[in-house]
Amino acid sequence: MIADSLIVERGVSAGDAWITVSPESAHEALAALKGEGYRLLVFLTCVDHLADSSRKWPARYEVVYQLRNMETLEQLRVRAFIDGDPPHIDSVADVFPPADWDERETYDMFGVVFEGHPDLTRILMPDDWVGHPLRRDYPVGGEPVEFSEEHETWQTAPPKA
Amino acid sequence: MTDTDTGTIGLGVTVTKAGEQGAFGGELLTINFGPHHPSTHGVLRLIVDLDGEQVKRLKPIIGYLHTGIEKQAEALRWQQVVVVTDRHDYLSPPINNLAYALAVEKLLGVDVPPRADALRVIMSELTRIASHLVWLGTSGIELGASTMLMYCFRERDTILDMNEEISGFRMHTSYIRPGGVMADATPRFLEMLDSFCTKMPGNIDEYEALLTMNPIFRSRTIGIGRLPAEDAKVLGATGPMLRGSGVAWDLRKKMPYSGYENYDFEVATSDMCDCYGRYLVRIKEMREAVRILRQALDRLPDGPVNVDDRKVLPPPREELETSMEAVIHHFKLFTEGYSVPAGDAYAAVESGRGENGCYVVSDGTHKPRRVKFRAASFVNLQPLERMALNHMVADMVAIIGTADTVLGDVDR
Repeated sequence: MIADSLIVERGVSAGDAWITVSPESAHEALAALKGEGYRLLVFLTCVDHLADSSRKWPARYEVVYQLRNMETLEQLRVRAFIDGDPPHIDSVADVFPPADWDERETYDMFGVVFEGHPDLTRILMPDDWVGHPLRRDYPVGGEPVEFSEEHETWQTAPPKA
Repeated sequence: MTDTDTGTIGLGVTVTKAGEQGAFGGELLTINFGPHHPSTHGVLRLIVDLDGEQVKRLKPIIGYLHTGIEKQAEALRWQQVVVVTDRHDYLSPPINNLAYALAVEKLLGVDVPPRADALRVIMSELTRIASHLVWLGTSGIELGASTMLMYCFRERDTILDMNEEISGFRMHTSYIRPGGVMADATPRFLEMLDSFCTKMPGNIDEYEALLTMNPIFRSRTIGIGRLPAEDAKVLGATGPMLRGSGVAWDLRKKMPYSGYENYDFEVATSDMCDCYGRYLVRIKEMREAVRILRQALDRLPDGPVNVDDRKVLPPPREELETSMEAVIHHFKLFTEGYSVPAGDAYAAVESGRGENGCYVVSDGTHKPRRVKFRAASFVNLQPLERMALNHMVADMVAIIGTADTVLGDVDR
């Protein structure tokens, strides 16, 4: 396991082992974990803890890295809590190539800026989209519907005189 | 200075710089491959830089099928999310259901009865075959073997009939749900499954007779789209993409779920690392899936198909007439739904395309805080540039085809 100085907290959630690292050392910690055999980044994502009173959260956004050692089959979830608007964290695309698209998706959906990413642009939403849809303060159904129902007016037969 | 001079159009899309020379004395040419090209299996757009007919750069543009499934899931109750999981990888709904169900069950701390596990395995394997059949049929058409589609869809239709028999729905079954499965298998379903297991090996022989030694098919796939094992691992590829590169990685063997450790089957691999290798892997996987189905059918245990927990699943209809408590449980489940203890869990299953996983975060309420689908297609699309480099444009059809990405799964 990586140096204790990098780990802020550790625990097990529903059978999955996890550690928390500080956002500044996330890149260092993940590179060290890769060196220890966690060579597959299964996924990378973000969780928005806005107005979640079930627990006390250190910050609003939690960036989650799920790692797997393909030889020993151990899995480890790495968390880093970040705040700010937009929140910033170092990119790990240079350590784990699949993180490239995952980070673009997380930027697209949550607005998390990954420092040092080679091409941090929107990936799923259109390039000119405003806002980050998976943030908890982005409403469901908040998009204006771009067609009208006026056609019903002219399709209805005029009332008989 | 125009956009073309700076090498960018819009945001982040690189195109050939004007006047960049290729190896054959001409300029590089940038073309759009898709989004409406029929061989892109959905709406995938590739910006391709060509030198003559050779691919020199390639950039996939995705998102055309983005439906905000993860956002929708946050607005639905835990049991309702099953319905949206059907729809991202639309060729393998029960396997997506299973990933979600396993993740939620991990948080709830419930274990499903053995019969439910066996039915989950049966539905997963049927779906795997159906998904590979769609892949085989459409890839056949793209590479000039148009008969394949007829043969493959014949058997796929039998599987859809079975889906209909067991769940009432042909494609988006929502059959596997947290706490068990939707309904027990009917006697007719088991008969259909039995005759399917008997006929299918012969049918797979038919497909092989059409393609495996077919000189046109072989010349269009052997040596095309090479992905060495080390590259496949580094790029995070899973499923037939990884096994086609000779790595025997299968979650059903390595990290068994739903009782896969009790079945005797082999992991299909091929050392060819090319499109033909991935074809062989999928054919072998269909044969192994039939073996698993046969074992599951022969050893199908008796018993309930759902957990006996009134806080998660509604009571049986008969109980409602005699028990006030059952009525209360029924009312609570259908108005508020169940609450899942706060925490997060990740569960992964092997779909026809690779590792399909589901990461769920609960804040202790009756709706999920976050549902993230780890889509195999999304990750498997990234090695595309590596595979297509220096190949002809026409070979890209074979390469995209054998990567077998479902764009609904890529874009979610």
